[in-house]
Amino acid sequence: MKVLIAEDEVALQESIVKFLERDGFVCESASNHKEALYKIDLYDYDIVILDINLISGSGLDVLKTLKKEGKKSGVIIISANNSLDDKLEGLDLGADDYITKPFHLPELNARIKAVLRRGKYGGDSCLIYHEIKVNTESRQTFVNNKEVQLTKKEYDLLVYFIVNKNRVLSKEVIAEHLWGDHIDLADNFDFIYVHINNLRTKLTKVAANYIKTVYGMGYRLTEE
Amino acid sequence: MTDGSEKKIKLLKKTSKNYLLSGVILMVLSLIGLYFVTQYFIREETDDSLKSTLYRIEQLLEAKQPISSVHPIIEVQKTQIEGTASLKDTLINDPLEDEEEVFRQLSAYKSVDGETYKISIRILLVESEDILLAILASYITIIFIIFLAQFYFSRQHAKVIWKPFFDNLEQIKTFSLQSNQKLSFVETNILEFSELNNELRALTDKVILDYKNLKQFTEDVSHEIQTPLAIMQAKVGNIIDDNVISTKQFKLLTEIQQNVQRLAGLNKKLVLLAKIENQQYETSQSLDITEQLTKAVEEFKEMSAIPIHYTPSGSILVRIDSTLAQVLMDNLISNAVKHTPEDGIIKVDIANNTITIANSGKNSIADPNKLYNRFYQESASKKSLGLGLAIVKKICDRYDLTIDYHFENKFHYFTLRFPKN
Repeated sequence: MKVLIAEDEVALQESIVKFLERDGFVCESASNHKEALYKIDLYDYDIVILDINLISGSGLDVLKTLKKEGKKSGVIIISANNSLDDKLEGLDLGADDYITKPFHLPELNARIKAVLRRGKYGGDSCLIYHEIKVNTESRQTFVNNKEVQLTKKEYDLLVYFIVNKNRVLSKEVIAEHLWGDHIDLADNFDFIYVHINNLRTKLTKVAANYIKTVYGMGYRLTEE
Repeated sequence: MTDGSEKKIKLLKKTSKNYLLSGVILMVLSLIGLYFVTQYFIREETDDSLKSTLYRIEQLLEAKQPISSVHPIIEVQKTQIEGTASLKDTLINDPLEDEEEVFRQLSAYKSVDGETYKISIRILLVESEDILLAILASYITIIFIIFLAQFYFSRQHAKVIWKPFFDNLEQIKTFSLQSNQKLSFVETNILEFSELNNELRALTDKVILDYKNLKQFTEDVSHEIQTPLAIMQAKVGNIIDDNVISTKQFKLLTEIQQNVQRLAGLNKKLVLLAKIENQQYETSQSLDITEQLTKAVEEFKEMSAIPIHYTPSGSILVRIDSTLAQVLMDNLISNAVKHTPEDGIIKVDIANNTITIANSGKNSIADPNKLYNRFYQESASKKSLGLGLAIVKKICDRYDLTIDYHFENKFHYFTLRFPKN
């Protein structure tokens, strides 16, 4: 999977590249508007991560060019601006998702994989982790081909674990993913434990064991 | 729009009222004036006529012509004593109508050949009174008709003249900074209106420009702060992801992350406050705010162990931006959750266009007036920024909602009242 990261802040660009490469993505970066236009013209990317405020031009222009040329890349807009207008404009122009700075890297990772899964970019809508299978189209979960009924939050939690497998996810990162902006209003993150426990009890004993508590840190999905 | 304490009156009504009032006063005054002037002249005429009659009678007496009295108009009597001449009004029984009538009477004494005559000449005053009344009546009729016609025409005329002004006033009323639409004034050849239009145009252009600059500034600040925060967040994320750190280091890094998040949240909230203050949220549609309430309650039930007693019931239609409606409900519920002791509960009630959110507490808030101040903290809670209720208050002010606090039976009550439609 090829990803273009069009971000004028090199430090942020490098961090994203480093994080995504661990998951096997092939990453390229563009540090300004011109470079981004040049690269999308020359190569085909599965995903383009686009900062809306690029030096010397708007990321939205890059998005327009991308769509005009009929490129099949999925587009995720990064913006420092939480304004609804920008968000709607980006999505209207054909962006697949929109993420506001600052964000957690596992969150960006999850968004990229969600865009890829949506089919039109050639991804598989099923997530498989050993005996756990999640159909993201019908939002059904199976363990050993037997359906398991999960609540919306438990389902989101499981998907988040699978797309960020082998990574330690802190309570904060998980809470931010599940509750978004509401998390600013929470006074602590202990409630995450309750939801993880509920998820574990619904999976089989073996499957539940994949979700490991990393003492003092958070949780990790791993087979070890 | 708040009216002043005194009642406002429409311009055309006001000018008409003044016109009518001054017209009536002038009419009454001129009528009184006319009465006295006419009466004066009629008196003069009557007296002149009496004097000329007297002169003729004296001539006749001197010429020794016989004079017969005509009661009560002319009376000539011989008399012993010579009095002084007098001119006065007097009451005399008029045999024609057999009642007392007012006569103007001129009495004089004339001596001819040792004989003294008393001559009294009278004119019935009723006649002149009738003339006076006729004059006054025709005067008032004519004046009244002219006055009414003038009033009608000037009113019509004023309507035409002021029309561009009222049209432009309607335009200004619909002016909204958000719509980004310039005002297009109705042009007129009246200098003052044209000047007013130009000034208003200049003013609104400046306001629009200032507003844009302010908005741009808000966005720039938000952008400039969020980017370094994003870099810090990503770098910490990289270190954690490298999996080479100890639990102790992880704790430190998570604390950095938490504070980055906190700073980002603070920034977001300040931008939100600024946006509400700058009225950057439009009130386009009416929505049922209990939906936002239900959503907020559901979210917080998942995030907190404190029981929230809430039964969705009825609906409250409010004209409010949907994002702000959600922020309002989230902040109120969040405030309740944060300040409820572990064994406490939260009660949410909907009734008669009010939403009441109550949470257990030990004591009333020391200074409820400060409750909605920015960064006001009743207790040093590590997570709270002290902006939640400030935002609530701002949203309430923006949409004319009222929020009240009171403490009763170990519960803090926040009551949100919505305007009735």
